[in-house]
Amino acid sequence: MAAIFTGAPPNSGPGYSFTQTPAPTSASEPRQHAFYPYTDNGGSTLGISSSTFTILAGDTRSTSGYNINTRYAPKLFHIDSADPSSRLVLSVVGFAADGEALAERLDTVVKMYRYQHGKTISVGAAAQRLSHVLYGKRFFPYYVHAILGGLDEEGKGALYSYDPVGSYEREQCRAAGAAASLIMPFLDNQVNYKNQYMAGSGVGHELQQRDPRPLERKEVEELVRDAFTSAVERHIEVGDGLQMMVITKEGVEEVYRELKKD
Amino acid sequence: MSSPFSINGGACVAMTGKDCVAIACDLRLGLQALTISNNFPKIFSYSPSVYLGLTGLATDVSTVADLFRYKVNMYRLREERQIAPRTFANLVSSSLYERRFGPYFVSPVVAGIDDGGKPFICGFDSIGCIDFAKDFIVSGTASDQLLGLGPEDLFETISQALLNAVDRDALSGWGAHVYIIEKDKVTKRLLKGRQD
Amino acid sequence: MNHLPQAWGRPRDDIYGAYNHAHLAPSHPTTHTQSPIVTGTSVIALKFRGGVVIAADNLASYGSLALHRREAAEKFNDKAVLGFGGDVSDMQYLDRYLNALAIRENYSSGSGAGEKASSTSTDASEEERAESLDNEGAGTGMAANNLHKYLQKLLYRRRSDFNPLWNHILIAGLSSPPPNAPDASPQPFLKSVDLLGTAFGAPSLATGFGAHLAQPILRRVVPDEEAVKKIDEATAVEAIRECMKVLWYRDARSLDRYSLAVVTKEGVRLSEDERVEGQSWEFAEGIRGYGTQVV
Repeated sequence: MAAIFTGAPPNSGPGYSFTQTPAPTSASEPRQHAFYPYTDNGGSTLGISSSTFTILAGDTRSTSGYNINTRYAPKLFHIDSADPSSRLVLSVVGFAADGEALAERLDTVVKMYRYQHGKTISVGAAAQRLSHVLYGKRFFPYYVHAILGGLDEEGKGALYSYDPVGSYEREQCRAAGAAASLIMPFLDNQVNYKNQYMAGSGVGHELQQRDPRPLERKEVEELVRDAFTSAVERHIEVGDGLQMMVITKEGVEEVYRELKKD
Repeated sequence: MSSPFSINGGACVAMTGKDCVAIACDLRLGLQALTISNNFPKIFSYSPSVYLGLTGLATDVSTVADLFRYKVNMYRLREERQIAPRTFANLVSSSLYERRFGPYFVSPVVAGIDDGGKPFICGFDSIGCIDFAKDFIVSGTASDQLLGLGPEDLFETISQALLNAVDRDALSGWGAHVYIIEKDKVTKRLLKGRQD
Repeated sequence: MNHLPQAWGRPRDDIYGAYNHAHLAPSHPTTHTQSPIVTGTSVIALKFRGGVVIAADNLASYGSLALHRREAAEKFNDKAVLGFGGDVSDMQYLDRYLNALAIRENYSSGSGAGEKASSTSTDASEEERAESLDNEGAGTGMAANNLHKYLQKLLYRRRSDFNPLWNHILIAGLSSPPPNAPDASPQPFLKSVDLLGTAFGAPSLATGFGAHLAQPILRRVVPDEEAVKKIDEATAVEAIRECMKVLWYRDARSLDRYSLAVVTKEGVRLSEDERVEGQSWEFAEGIRGYGTQVV
């Protein structure tokens, strides 16, 4: 990358007429550093979308190694909350400083969109912008797993999940962070009814999968609570508090609930 | 990925119910991402009501399974009785600890019903530390995924737990064996599962 | 001139000789701070009803060599105190930097502009809110929460440039009222920021060794924000002094002289010459098993 800026001639093109062409200086070579610019602050997040709402949730513990930094560090951010018609919530888990920087970037992007176009950004457009923001730092990534929740143009729940460099996908449900591998199979089973079949629908390939249906708000909140109380039992980086944001056409409602503090 | 515990892949889970226990495993044998076989059971029986699940390095799974067959046969000849699950668990533990500084790369799970008809399950690390559990034990590359679910109807629960877990683990799957062990009855079922 | 545009405007080899790059190119890669040199140890702080107490010992260490005497806690203004852990030279750089900032703030905000905006309506437009915030800050300087945000941005930027300021800083003081309630009384504020830009707040905080030794003790005093409202200044100061004693007992890179600051709405009380009092080393008699004693 940096070789472009050294003043050296391009490899494919003609060289200088000098006997000695500018060689790439050592400054452009990879530098060695003992300093590592990332850390993992633990915790887990999850999102589930349904026909009329989306729920995002995350625990509020912040860790570094075996230390608990604080019992209340939110991982959920209401984007452009100054706009009463904003229905966007971003959850970030991984390196907390990058997560907060990312949330602020997206907040600015969404605000700028509103100022420039005089309307609130759609969740699909915001999702794509977020992907671009993440990919913009492809070679020094935001070390986070982001989940973006909102309502689409039809008023249906929308949920987008991201990898740290901006690959994204719209999904029904997604768990991220430290306890993602514990929670995700539970969500497959209980939200998308994976491995569940209709009784008496046949054998082998005749078996009919149980059709996923849009879940009620109460059901989803219970799934979220169950997922987190179980994750707290088995993962030491998850605990202290559960922050939930429920996105409906009425607005964004925040719910906080205690989790075990051990 | 190059850890001996995750070269071949595999998953195993045991659960207790009312007067019964269940133990289940997947059937995959792989070499990293390449699947070698879809019929490699990881559960072995050592008496009518003592079962051992072994995940980890496949060569050690076979070696350890045979080693315990030999040891349990010798026990039965000497004692003229079947080995009890708790006795077997202690045999597993001490046998693994004998290899403390050159261990078998396996994560065993024991499930059975003891003489009083009470359910018994436990798990081990590769050098024999026993983890006695009341509810359930998991081992293998999908063990993280297996921890999410809790027990209700035993067969349905263990099957759902295992299938949903191995579907989220690239190194496990391709069918499963489930044993439901009651006081004087053992039911073995083959689950087809996803073949991809 | 020749037909190679890359060479236009450059000294010609046939006249001036080949350019010697050794003059320009550094022979080793540019490196920034890779590890702290002279360091300060733990800083601990605790919120109480109406304020915050913060303490740090006065030792600067060069590895295991004790250099004694450092300014561990800095008064920023009447509303904010900083406690520094980590590299002392980076701390002194930040101190100079923040002093310049404070002076600039005091000039630009002016002394006569103390008039508070009377707009308290919650449906005020964003511009009005921003304006009232400016006036609120006038003549009184940045509140602790503003200072914390500033430092977080600074440290995060420096880590992103791979040139970190090797500190873990506690910012203690009083926060400015939220924009929708400009007349609300200032609340106790305590947050930290580290060399990566990681920021978090809690009823009690501790850096370095204090995170292991002092934080558990402090969390018993104030487990949550509810508990903060229930304890008074005297209890909080006593808890902090007790923690400084524990740190002096068990942290090898610590000193029995420390600075202690209390921030309330009356202002900052900073004392830089506190001593660990009521020491008793009797407990050391009972300690066995470090290899020096036989049974």
